[in-house]
Amino acid sequence: MTRDELQEKIFAVLTEDFEFDKPGLDDNLRDDHGFDSIDAIELLGKIELMLGFSLSREEKEKAMGIRTINDILDYIERIQSAHQS
Amino acid sequence: MKRRVVVTACSAITPIGYGKNDIIAALKLGKSGVKPLRDDGLLTGHIHSRVFGTVDYPIEYGFKRQYTKTMGPVAFYACRVAKDVLEQSGLDQEFITSGRLGVAFGSTHGSPTVQRNIYKTFFNNLEEEFSSIGAVDYLRSMVHTTAVNITRMFGITGRVIASSTACTTSSQAIGFGYEMVKYGMQDAMICGGADEYDTTTVAVFDNLLACSVDFNDRPECTPRPFDTKRDGLVVGEGGGAVLLEEYESAKRRGANILAEVIGFGCNNNGGDLILPNLDGITATLRLALKDAGITPEQVDVISAHATATKMGDVIEAQAIDAVYGDGPLVTGLKSYMGHTMGTCGVIELTLMLYMMEQGFVAPTLNLETVDPRCAMLNHAREIRVGDINIAAMQNFAFGGVNTCLLLQNGRQTTA
Repeated sequence: MTRDELQEKIFAVLTEDFEFDKPGLDDNLRDDHGFDSIDAIELLGKIELMLGFSLSREEKEKAMGIRTINDILDYIERIQSAHQS
Repeated sequence: MKRRVVVTACSAITPIGYGKNDIIAALKLGKSGVKPLRDDGLLTGHIHSRVFGTVDYPIEYGFKRQYTKTMGPVAFYACRVAKDVLEQSGLDQEFITSGRLGVAFGSTHGSPTVQRNIYKTFFNNLEEEFSSIGAVDYLRSMVHTTAVNITRMFGITGRVIASSTACTTSSQAIGFGYEMVKYGMQDAMICGGADEYDTTTVAVFDNLLACSVDFNDRPECTPRPFDTKRDGLVVGEGGGAVLLEEYESAKRRGANILAEVIGFGCNNNGGDLILPNLDGITATLRLALKDAGITPEQVDVISAHATATKMGDVIEAQAIDAVYGDGPLVTGLKSYMGHTMGTCGVIELTLMLYMMEQGFVAPTLNLETVDPRCAMLNHAREIRVGDINIAAMQNFAFGGVNTCLLLQNGRQTTA
């Protein structure tokens, strides 16, 4: 998946499933959209479905530093490349 | 410290309607909320009873996803009625979040709909969905999901009591909430219960031969408390909430005092977990009278638990006879909507508040020929118009838990 394709999918998930209003790439997930720890767990489940494989506990723990949508995209790209190599 | 405790708001979602006007109209028209059992794609085909007390009308929730993400259907009912009582009460946000307001709220077993989806994932071996079973499903289905979704939605920081004692879930919630306020632990409590559409409960009672089956083609003719043709209970769904407040502060702020909770009795049979127990039930009724400091003669109306099971109604009739004789009018409100399980106590209490305000007693529906073993009571056979000053609310549960709440009309309290 290219970065643009990823971005399109993540924007769709955030607007449809998480009811984000006009999300921006550098918006703070918590401050701008009320994203909390429960949402983070739910989003990881959706990322697993998107990627087609389960994330390890270590990979999931690395997601806890995510603050923006750009961070989400960076995170998914890193996971993808790790699984491809 | 002993303080007086009053009810200043109430709301109920029931099979006969949502809100005061719809419910009163149904009670006055003798309208039943029992409908055909819906196909759940799982158990329905195995169940003999084909009737259910169903909430089949749309409800406007308007909750944001921020809150709904931790809610199963049961919490939607709970938060809706909790929102109603807070809005009715006029309590300000400072008090609501002060820690002086608590929540006593429960359900029979959380959200069976969410639990069922978890089981379906496992039993269908849907590997790709295992990751979706996590904290959120637990929050939506756990046994105290109703109580804590209420605290979360409204920012309530006081005590949480999440009773879960089957059919006495919400009557215990009200009783324990009453004691919280009476003894000064909290100044106000949102109390109640909710239970969602669920066929596992029907299956359980069906296997115990306790569900109604003779009126599958005429759902509105069952349940039939105290009637010779009664053949068991009808499971139902719904939600209800009351706001309990300390009397002096409620009076000071000009709250609408609907009733005063003047007594609560609660005990356990200490033995069989299913069969009704005459000694246990009789003792509960007396405990409530003692707590209220009143005599049996002062009670005008009894809302009987009256599930329409063959033995349950007889044992309850014997207990009422032993304590009250044929004095108070006895009505069985489950005849209108079936047995709404954990929420029946608060729904029946809400119906009683409406009847107290309007000055009438709804009769037991479908009571055509009184079972001779229950005939010693003063049954409500038709609508009775007149003031209700004191009412007794009786509920009994699997597990041998018994409750009785005594209510005094708010007009008496403020007179």
